[in-house]
Parts: sequence; C-alpha cells; structure tokens
Amino acid sequence: MNPQAELLPGTLDLLILKAVSLGSLHGYGILLRIEQISGGALLIEQGALYPALFRLVRQGYLKASWGTSDNNRRAKYYELNAGGRKRLREEEEAWNRVVAAMTLVLGAEAVQS
Amino acid sequence: MKLLAYLRSLISAVQHRNHEDGDLDEEFLAHIQSHADDLERSGMPRAEAERQARIAFGGYARVKEECREERGGFWFESLWKDISFGLRMLYKNPGFTAVAVITLALGIGANAAIFSVVRGVLLRPLANQDEDRLLYLRQSATGDDDAAFSIPEIKDIGANLKTIKELGTLSQLDFTVVGLGQPREISAGVADGNYFDVMGLKPVLGRLLNPGDDGPNAAGALVLTYRFWTTSMHSDPTVIGKTVRLGSFEGTRSATIVGVVEPSVPYPIETQIIANIVTSPHHLSATMVEGRVHRMTEVFARLAPGAELESARAELNTVYAGMLTAHPEVYKPSDHYQITVTRMHDQINSRARTILWVLFAASGLLFVIACSNVANLFLARTVRREPELALRSALGATKAVLRRSLLAEALVLCGAGLLAGVLIAAPMVTVLSRYAARFSARAVGLTLDSSLLWIGVALALIAAVFLAFVPRLPSGDSSKGFGISSSSVRITGGSRRRLRIFAVTQITASFLLLAGAGALLRTLLVLQRTQPPFETAHVLAVNLPVMSDGRTPEQVSEFYREAQRRVATLPGVERASTSFATPWRDARFLNLSFSFALQGAQRENALDDPRARFRSVSPGFFETMGVPILEGRDFDDRDRDGAERVVIINQSVAKQLFQGQDPVNRELRWTDPVMKFIGISYEPRRIIAVVPDLDDQDLIPSQAMTVYQPTNQEGWNGRLFVRAKTDPYALVPSITREIHEIAADQPVEHASTLDDIRTEVMTPDRLNAVVFGGFASLALLISVVGVAGVLAFSVSGRTREFGIRLALGASPRHVLTDVLIEGLVIAVIGVTTGAVVGFVSARAIAKYTADFQVPGALPLVVSAGLILAAALIASALPAARAAQVDAVQALRSE
Repeated sequence: MNPQAELLPGTLDLLILKAVSLGSLHGYGILLRIEQISGGALLIEQGALYPALFRLVRQGYLKASWGTSDNNRRAKYYELNAGGRKRLREEEEAWNRVVAAMTLVLGAEAVQS
Repeated sequence: MKLLAYLRSLISAVQHRNHEDGDLDEEFLAHIQSHADDLERSGMPRAEAERQARIAFGGYARVKEECREERGGFWFESLWKDISFGLRMLYKNPGFTAVAVITLALGIGANAAIFSVVRGVLLRPLANQDEDRLLYLRQSATGDDDAAFSIPEIKDIGANLKTIKELGTLSQLDFTVVGLGQPREISAGVADGNYFDVMGLKPVLGRLLNPGDDGPNAAGALVLTYRFWTTSMHSDPTVIGKTVRLGSFEGTRSATIVGVVEPSVPYPIETQIIANIVTSPHHLSATMVEGRVHRMTEVFARLAPGAELESARAELNTVYAGMLTAHPEVYKPSDHYQITVTRMHDQINSRARTILWVLFAASGLLFVIACSNVANLFLARTVRREPELALRSALGATKAVLRRSLLAEALVLCGAGLLAGVLIAAPMVTVLSRYAARFSARAVGLTLDSSLLWIGVALALIAAVFLAFVPRLPSGDSSKGFGISSSSVRITGGSRRRLRIFAVTQITASFLLLAGAGALLRTLLVLQRTQPPFETAHVLAVNLPVMSDGRTPEQVSEFYREAQRRVATLPGVERASTSFATPWRDARFLNLSFSFALQGAQRENALDDPRARFRSVSPGFFETMGVPILEGRDFDDRDRDGAERVVIINQSVAKQLFQGQDPVNRELRWTDPVMKFIGISYEPRRIIAVVPDLDDQDLIPSQAMTVYQPTNQEGWNGRLFVRAKTDPYALVPSITREIHEIAADQPVEHASTLDDIRTEVMTPDRLNAVVFGGFASLALLISVVGVAGVLAFSVSGRTREFGIRLALGASPRHVLTDVLIEGLVIAVIGVTTGAVVGFVSARAIAKYTADFQVPGALPLVVSAGLILAAALIASALPAARAAQVDAVQALRSE
C-alpha cells in the first residue's frame, strides 16, 4: 500500500497556515516542513502551493517579505499575521470536529435489534 | 487634465504589473534552485537535479497564471485583454463597426448636446445673488392675461410688506442716445434706486443705481449692461463718467454713465442700458405717477429673510385684494383681476422650458433608436458567433468570462461612439444654443463644459452594459445550448424575438419623431405659403427714431414730412411714406389696441366698447404697401394738427359695425381710458376712407378691426417705408445721405425689406422644423438600417428553410413576398405602437400645457406612409437574396 496519503480537498490552506505558524518560511521551505512533519505521508504538488499562497496573502492571512535563505538565495518569506492566527485556530477546531465525527461514524458497529 | 491623469495611472499599473511578474519569476526560480540544491546534495549531478526540480514544480506558465489570478486585479487585466481582442474583432468587421459607431455617436452626441443646453438654460442658477429668493410679479384680468403694473398700483401693493424685503421696478423705454458713437436708438430700462439691490447684481465697474438716484432732483445716471459694454463699447473703461443725451418721447435729458453691471440675464426685455427715473420726463409726469391704468412698470421682489414663496404669495394676494376693493371703478369684479407671483428663475425659463424638454425627449427617443439598432447588430453578430462562444464555453470559460468579453467589445464600440459623439456634440451645442436663444436670453453665449463629456460617458456606459447583457449565452445544459458542430447559423427563438422587439422599438420611436416633425413642418409650410396681404418684396422699412431733443412737436412732424418728400424724389424710389411701426417686427407697437365707439353705428349691446388695432400712418402709406383704397380718400397734407380729425378704417370695422351702411363721413372716437396718458384726444374723428384688411401683425392674416390715424395728427412716427422700383437695398446709402442732410444726428437703422422681416420673424418656426426634421430623418435612417439588418439576418438564418421550400417547388416570388411581408409586419406593429404611445402621451401632455396642439391627421398619415415605404425598401435587399437562394447549395451546406 502506498504510504503517502491523498491530500483532502480544502486542507492545503490549513497545512500552509500550520507550517508557517511555526516560523516564517519561503515557499520551498513550506513544502519541506509539511513533508517532514507528516513523516513524508503528505506530499504537496508543488504547482498548487503558490496559487494557494497568493490567495492567502490576498485574503490577508499571510504577510510576505523578501529575505535571504540559508544557502544565500533571495527568497520570499511568508509569516502569519493576526488574521492568519485566528483563521488557523478556527480551521484547526473545524478539522478536529470533522475528525472526531468521522472517527465516531467509522467506529460504529452493527447493533442487532 | 483628468484624462491625462487617468492615462498616467494606467501606464503605471501596467509597469507595476511587469514588475510583479518579475517578482513571480524570481520567487519560482528560487524555489526550483533550492529544490535542485537539495537534490544535488543527495548525489545527483547539477544538470539532472535542475531538470528534476523543474519537473516537480509543474507547468510553470500555468502556475504563474493561476498566481496572477489569485493575486486579484486580474479581472481588470483580463478585461484589458478582452478589449484588445474586441478591438481586433471590430477591426475585422469594418462595416458593422462603422454602422454601430456612427449610430451610437449620433445617439450619444445628440443627447449630450441637448443636455448641455438644457443644463445651461434651465438648470444653471442665475447670476443674481440668492437667485432663488428673487420674485417676479404680474397681474392679469379678463382681456389682458399678462400685464405689468402702474405706479399707483405699485405704491398700493408695495407698502408695509412683511414677506418681501423690497420691491424693485423697471420699465422699458427706447432712448435715442447721442454721445456714444453714432446717434442711435437703444433699448433701455428706467429703474428705481432699489432695482439693482433687489436683483442682487453687482457692478464690474463704477457703481450701480441706488436710492440716491431717485426723485425729480437727482442727476441723470445710467448703467451699461455687460453685454452692451463689451460689444458696443469694446469694454472701454473710460466710458465711466461720460455724459450722454438720452432722448425719449417726452423730451431729452442728460445722464452720466456711472457703472457697468455684471453679466446677467436681462428680463423681461433685452435692455442695453439702465437709467434712473429722472432721465425720462414721462416717468415724472402725472400720467405715470397718477395713472392707475398706465401699466408699463415691471415689478421684481426679494423675499424677506425667513419668508417663503408661498407666504409671499398669500400676503401679496391679500394686499392686492385690498387694492381691488378700494378702487372698484378701475377693477370691475367681472374682469377678475389677479396677481401672480413667480420665482424669477422659473419665469425666465417659462418659454424655453417646454421646447427644451420636448427636444430632450426627442433626443432620448433617438438614443433609444440608436441603442436598439446597435443592440440588433450586436445581437445578430453574437448569434453568428454562437459556435465560437459555445467552443469557449466547452473549453471551460465561465458565463462571467464570456459576458466580460462581450462587455469589452461593447465598451470598445461605445467608447468609439462616445469619441465621435463628443466631436459632433460640440457643433450641435452651437446650433442648439442659437436655437434656444430664441426662447431664452440665457442661451446666449452658452459654452461647452465638461458636463457634456460626463453625460456622454454615462450614456456610453449605459449603452455598453445594455449591449453586453442583451445576447443570450450558451448555458451549461447542452440540450438548451447550441451545438458547436454545426457551422451554419441556427437562430434560437429567443434571439429572434429580441431582434424583432428592437426593430419594432425603432420603428415606434421613428414614427413618433416623424409625426412630430411633420406637424412642425406643416406649420412652417402653411406660414410660407400664406401670402401677406400687402407688397413685401419691394418695400424697404427703415427705422427713423423720433429725435425730440430741442425740437417742437411741429418741427418733428416737419422732419418726417421733409424726409418723406426728399426720399420720394430719389431715383429708383416709387413711393415713400412713414408710419410708427414696422410690420411683424415692432410687436410692442403693433400690439396696441384701444376701445372706441361709433356714432350712428349699431352698438351690438351695452357691454364694453369694441377694440381696434391702433395705427398711425402718413399720406401715401397704402399706396406704398400696394393696397387700394376701397372707398373715400387717402390722408393728405391737409390732415394736420388743428385741422379736422380724420381716420381711415379697415373693412373689418366697416363690416362688423356698419353692417351694409356707408361708413364714410360717419364719426368715431376713442373711448379707452389709456388714451389720456398717451396724448391722444377723445374728440370725434371723421371716417374718410375704408381700406382692405391688411394684417401687419400676424403671419397668418386675421380679420382684426384696425383704425388708422394720420401721422400728422397727434404725431406717432418713426418708421420710413420706401417702395423701390429695383433692388431696395441699393437705395439704403442714398436714403441715409438724404436723411442726414436734413438732420445730421438722426439715426437711420435696421433697413430691410418687408420680405426679409417676415422671413426673420418666421425663423423660430423654420428652426423648429429643421431641428425636429433633422432628428426625425436621422431616426428614420437608423431605423431603415435596423430593419434591413434584422431581415438580412433572419434571411441568412433561414437559408436552409428557403432552400427546402424552393426545392419543393415554391416560386421565388413567394419567398420574396414572404420576406417583404415580414418587414411590413414589423413596420405596421411599430407604427401602431407609435400611434398608441403618441395618443396617450399627447393626452397626458395636453393636461399640463394648454398650448399643446395635437398634430393633424395629414402628418400622421404621411409619416406612417414614409415608415412603411422605408420598411419595404429595407426589406427589398434581404428579400431578393432570399429568392435567389440556390436550393442545392443551401441543402448541401447542412
């Protein structure tokens, strides 16, 4: 079985917010961090990352600024701002509710009447 | 300037965009390089690492596009792209583009121009300070529905008013002015010291009149109007302090020019100068000061602080009613005397209002026609493009995207229409303001301003949005949508219905405009066809204003006799005579009519005496005008002051009052109470002759009773008439020379033939017909294009149907008549709708204004015929094409 999980629709934003909440990152760094935290289980299509980043910037959750990466390359860094932190909390709660509900449903056993 | 700023911001937006594009590239490259670095570290050769990194990144351009879209502002950017696409599409269809742009330009241009005029003439506030608190007073009674006031009346009404701060008065007078260039007659106002204060006007030079200028002992003072100062005095500041001689009919006085008033609308008459009361001996006479029915003074009022129009109206009505009861001998209850109080602004606009709003409505109709027409063309084109739209829709373009591209194209069209429209609007404003100047002094010197552009932009946007939302878009549901497979055009029912509706709308609006123009044209034609009752082509009229400065009345009379004698002997002159008013032109004098009584004639009843037009003519006048004397003798040199008083009556008097008896040698006397104020006696006068009715006042001659007095008795004079053997205008220099030999400072002015005067008086009617006729022809032209377009389109969409019918044996003639009938049906529905709409709106308008005339049947029938003929012509071409469809070709094309 493929050890990599399929990324659920709508979860990319949440993953990005979470990754960035741990410290400001450039685009490639975000990819690496998500891969690393998930133990390689979640792989993000690279092309899908940037439109999502731009969307989050436009919606006012992320702040972008130019900086220098560890290997001395100019790169654009993303970090959460106040709106982004609030959004992250909300998304996390919503996700947890879904997970709890899903677990409940999937854990149900047939009851004989 | 605003346009420049806009362009600059557009340029910077594009630059900004390029800059941000660079940012995107840099960010993506950094990503790919970092990934490649990692891969290289894990042992991959650099080139392979970079290749792998690029593959992992995915479609570079697509990602970039998606990012741009997410970044926002994308909509505008795409619209820009759509616009350039639209430009290319329109460039490829020059015929469609030209027709659409010209049509839109006409619609937008006409509306923008008329709106500018409406704004300038009706909506703009007057120059007067607090113009909305400035009132104008009139009174009316049976027989005289719009009268000024007399000085005793003003004293009665004006005392102790609470709602009115002050009254200002002005009366019109013609002064013969000596000392300002050539001696000449100048239309003037005689005002009291409060006038300028009430009007809220300020001087641009010197001072205006104030209460210190009132009273019989004040020094003569006069103020120039701005227009007179700039045009006649060439804005010469040294005129201030100059002393001039002002001659009016009761003597001449000196006056000093004290100032120039700021530009303002002269009302009720175009005055060139405004002088204080002492400059006119008449204004100090008992006639003026004590004559209660000597009504020649205009009254203006300024509302007191806090007072409103309604309360002023109520108070003035009360005061006025009090005056009526105090003088029952003057104000007979049966005459229903009334005072009217209006805002100055409304009063000034009253004449222009109706005509301008009607014009505005006409241009609105033109806009509707233009939009319908372009909508038709646009719709037809969109239907042809349905395969393309369907393809784009299938490839994932959303409805919004398709609508946007339609909007872009519509914007391009309307933008071009706007540009062309503004270009034609500028000269239109010039023409229209000249037209409007006939009805309102406010239109004089009307200039273009930016409002023209803004209204144009607004109209263009309305049209663009309308155009973009008219066509139907392919829906996601394939059963209702149209296929991409078929290359031939299949018109869906909805589009066809819309096309028809637009065509009918155009016909309806054109019909309304045509009918209106037809009615106006008919009025003009009737006027032009009417023969004046006397000679006009060879009779020259010249103004010789009365110069009473230092002369006795007898000397003045002698001057006119001498002038007549000397001019009559000039070579080329057949006959010369004088009178006191030029036909059609001197409306103020021609309006004079007084009540009179006959001795020996049957009085119809004991009610009021009959009224007759008052005319003062010299011997030879009737001969000059080419009118025979029916009975009796003409005036001659014996009929002077002191001799027996004589009059000549016209046929109407003879017919109506003598009923078959011989009027000659019967006696007539004036009975009008006004007579004593204008120096005409109540003594009986012997009727010496009867002349035919020669109406010199109305363009369509009426049978008005008229009584002629000799100029040599009670001398009313001032106009010279010369009947020429050849070209009348060639005589002007010698006439002028001859007059100046008698009196060097005598003004000799406004020489023109009676024919030309008549034409000049008819100008408003002609302009009416031209302006509306122009509108209607434009509308008709646009409609013909519209109907032809709809039918051509319908025919091309039914090629297959015609092919099958022809293949099954239908004759081409059947197909031809089919299409013609289709065109006629559209026209008939349009005309019927137009007739219904016209009828309903005519009744609605008639409710508001009394002087609205429903056009006669003839213009309606002619317009309907024109429209039907135009529709037939418009259908002919498409019909012919339908009949020529090659059956085999048509079927094969499926």
